[in-house]
Amino acid sequence: MATTTTVSLPLPTTSRRGMRGGPILRRVTQDRILGYLFLFPALLVIVGLVAYPFASAIVMTFQAKTAGAPGRFIGLDNYRELFGSEQFLRAVINTVAYTGIGVGLKFVFGLSMALVLNQERFCNNLFRSILLIPWAIPTVMSALNWRWIFDDASGLINNVLVRLNLIDETISWLSDPHLAMLSVIIVVVWQGTPFFTMSFLAGLQAIPKELYEAAEIDGASVLQQFSYITLPRLQPIFITAVMLSAILTSAGIQFVLILTNGGPSDRTMIFPVLAYHLALGGAQRLGMGAAVSLIFFPLLVVFIVFLTRRMLREKGE
Amino acid sequence: MALRVTTQRRVFKGVGNGALILMLLWTLIPFYWMIATSLKHDKEIYGYEATLIPERPTLANYATVFRETPYLLFLRNSLAIAVGSTILSMVIACLAAYAIARLSFPGRALLARGLVFTYLVPTSLLFIPMFAMMSALRLTDSLHGLIIAYLGFDVPFCTWLLMGYFKSVPFDLEEAARVDGCNRVGALVRIVLPMSLPALVVVTFFSFTHAWNEFLYAHVFTSTTNARTVTTGLVNFMSQDVFFWGPLMASTVMSALPPVLMFLVFQRWVVKGLTLGGVKG
Amino acid sequence: MPTTRREILKTVGKTAAVVTTTAPWWLSRRAHAARQAKLVVWNPAALAPQVDKIMQEQCYAYAKQAGIKESEIDYQIIGGPQLVPKLVAALEAGNPPDITRLGGGYVQLYRSQGHLLEVTDLVNKMQKQQGGLFPVSLPSVMHEGKAWGVPQSISPWPLVTRLDLLEAAKVDPPKTWDELIEVCKKLQKPPRVTGFGLCLGLQNDTDNNVMNMIWCYGGKLVEADNKTVALHSKGTIAAVQLIADMFNKHKIIPKGAIAWDNTGNNKAYQSRQVIFVLNPTSIYAHLADSDKELYNVTGLLPVPAGPAGAVEELTTAEWLLFKKNPYPEVAKGLAEYWMAPENLRVMIEEGDGRWGPPFKNMYDSKFWKRPVFQHWRGMLERGRQFPAPGAMNPAAGEVLATYTIGRMMHRVLVESWNVEKAVVEAHKKVAEIYARYQGA
Repeated sequence: MATTTTVSLPLPTTSRRGMRGGPILRRVTQDRILGYLFLFPALLVIVGLVAYPFASAIVMTFQAKTAGAPGRFIGLDNYRELFGSEQFLRAVINTVAYTGIGVGLKFVFGLSMALVLNQERFCNNLFRSILLIPWAIPTVMSALNWRWIFDDASGLINNVLVRLNLIDETISWLSDPHLAMLSVIIVVVWQGTPFFTMSFLAGLQAIPKELYEAAEIDGASVLQQFSYITLPRLQPIFITAVMLSAILTSAGIQFVLILTNGGPSDRTMIFPVLAYHLALGGAQRLGMGAAVSLIFFPLLVVFIVFLTRRMLREKGE
Repeated sequence: MALRVTTQRRVFKGVGNGALILMLLWTLIPFYWMIATSLKHDKEIYGYEATLIPERPTLANYATVFRETPYLLFLRNSLAIAVGSTILSMVIACLAAYAIARLSFPGRALLARGLVFTYLVPTSLLFIPMFAMMSALRLTDSLHGLIIAYLGFDVPFCTWLLMGYFKSVPFDLEEAARVDGCNRVGALVRIVLPMSLPALVVVTFFSFTHAWNEFLYAHVFTSTTNARTVTTGLVNFMSQDVFFWGPLMASTVMSALPPVLMFLVFQRWVVKGLTLGGVKG
Repeated sequence: MPTTRREILKTVGKTAAVVTTTAPWWLSRRAHAARQAKLVVWNPAALAPQVDKIMQEQCYAYAKQAGIKESEIDYQIIGGPQLVPKLVAALEAGNPPDITRLGGGYVQLYRSQGHLLEVTDLVNKMQKQQGGLFPVSLPSVMHEGKAWGVPQSISPWPLVTRLDLLEAAKVDPPKTWDELIEVCKKLQKPPRVTGFGLCLGLQNDTDNNVMNMIWCYGGKLVEADNKTVALHSKGTIAAVQLIADMFNKHKIIPKGAIAWDNTGNNKAYQSRQVIFVLNPTSIYAHLADSDKELYNVTGLLPVPAGPAGAVEELTTAEWLLFKKNPYPEVAKGLAEYWMAPENLRVMIEEGDGRWGPPFKNMYDSKFWKRPVFQHWRGMLERGRQFPAPGAMNPAAGEVLATYTIGRMMHRVLVESWNVEKAVVEAHKKVAEIYARYQGA
């Protein structure tokens, strides 16, 4: 990874309109102001747009609330009810497994494909565009399509396997408790791999060829080149992609909702689906739904802070 | 050293080709199923066996989409929203990502992480207070309202993605430029952005497809047909317990094409840009 | 300009900070203008597009006669599964529609939250038309003598049957559940054709289907006092055991039924993969357009009897009128217009009987006298709603919406629990839900 140089450059020859202070101090203050200025629009979006709903959701977790009525403060009762619920605890385990395996597979497939697509090849652009297709389809429609593909009697997979005489009885992809989670993860991976592929590919494309050529002259094998040049360069992108994907995958409801609705027997119940059911089904208890969504909050914050520590380190440390 | 590097490369190339073929099949088969379904008559869709090739291919489902819904209007709306939110989020994210990746100021790490924390309330719940707020601000049922709503989702994501890429741009180039008298903005525009072109394409694609395919907000925040997008048009084909699969798939196939075609075009342009400009070692 | 760049930046920064922190206040003080529309209608997509069109035309016709311009109407057709999230968001934002249509206990839920307009006068008027309303359509809307929703339709769930297969094998339609099992075993040809498409996914169809069978064996959800939960009983256990046997021993239920959604049994029947399903006439009505062959050989038979008799499941749908409406009379007028028997008749016949009208005498028309509907009257008189003998109330609505019965079935069929253990657990859950609603 290219090392950053320290801030000790000679005075710029062209002077700007009367700035006070020495060159280093000037640089630092300039940086500071510019930093806030550049960040300002993003902050405006977040504070102006997301802050209120976000705070609203947090407050809801401490209330007994239904739509259209002010909530009644009940302290930690929602959380207490959740921790006592077997369904919730199962959902937690399921979510961790679902996210871990899903993101893991997406990462491996994505990296492999990025490396492959980075090789010289005829029609590479076309292949890249084809591999992008799952990303271009709304998740609702992917889920519905795969629902069909997994169907017992009229599903594509079963029909093909039966026709090829590979199986006698149809495989119940979505109703077999041992297969249901796997089936959902397959769809998640199908939909989400292109994001990893393209992100990593973009990172790979930015690595200058000269580095590899130099290493080769020095006698490095392909694997060594990969470990010493490629991996370190891609590290920030790995971290970012994994973090964002983990958060968004664990919060996605469409796949489970459409494929299994949490079944069979809560085998695929993940906590965002549980939150959705609580908030929109039955008594429509928005407070409980919010509590489920936010129960991971502290854990995720720790996760994010830990993961991004290296990335956000100040220069020169 | 077991094999010479060129032989190693050949081996990896062969493995790569094999993996690519598998991946292409894996990607295309479900998409083919969608296309095939969209070309089948209702009766064949409900046929017992899943026919791999439509027996009597028909464009009737596509005609239905155009007949039952103002598809072109939806397309126009989707496009406007996607382009608008992409441009805005790209500009905002580029500035923010550069600031976090390169500049030094107190609260930098906190602000950067703070951006991501906004994802900790999933949209499947956030839409409720979000809609209440949008309603009060009279931003519902409008294209610009949706653009603004999508910013809340796109900006943190794009900022972080770009940040990762900006960090891999070697610092020396920028320093050299600044010694030559370039200021920060110039460094951003003239050095960092061009070197991150592939990354910009990816991030643009992300913003675009997110706005293009987004369902929940588009559905909840819009009422009148004039503001509806392609995805919300899909619900016309889903009644209580009967889904009109043919038109559903037809609509999806049609809407998947613009982003992919766009990407194809951008890719060519980007690759050309890279080889022309070159990267100074 | 004499100011330095630094000072410019400082001023910009200060103004920006002020603007950002005060933004929420001065933005929200823009008056939430009175909405332009005089009538906001959210009509869930009916089965057939022509029914949607007819209802919309009728709405505009009403508006015209009420002196409302087309531009003052906000009419939306919303897909079934998408209506509730949108409604919840709208309620929270304080601008629900004026009128919408829902089944399944939502009237009682939203009434208990204070969102609905009282419509007792409308319902009383309806009682004087066409022989009045079937008693079964009232519990969903009545509370303490007042009506809070307008009954829109009643849908019995007959045993939808492949009459051609029965005829070909010279078999009579089954009169009891045991007979049904025999017929299925005789006629089915797995894996191509399975006998009984009972929905077993975590969906409303499951709760309704299974409860139907529970009644035939003497079980029930809750007593008439709406407080005493009665799920745990010999009858329930027998019914659940029957279903378990159908699934495991006799294998007359498709394996995939465990993952079916509400469209699962529709699709299975239309794909000719099952002989019997329990479903309202949505399948039949859809076949009218898409598969005339199958349409002509489909029978809508009474439900087979168990030891406690034969009882059909009924679901109802209602018009909900929301209180937060500056023009309540307009919405009420529309509901009245739509439910006027002449208009209703058009809607129902165009939809091929997707819904049944709630008026007693409307079943004397030529449409309902067709042979395929010969059992209808009986079903309407015998039929019960999910919580019977209890009434549809928020507690029952929650039992339905949390798929309690479906989960019970999964315990038995997926986790291989002992039937009684599963029933006891479900009973406990239902009791908890009802306890939470005491006083609602």
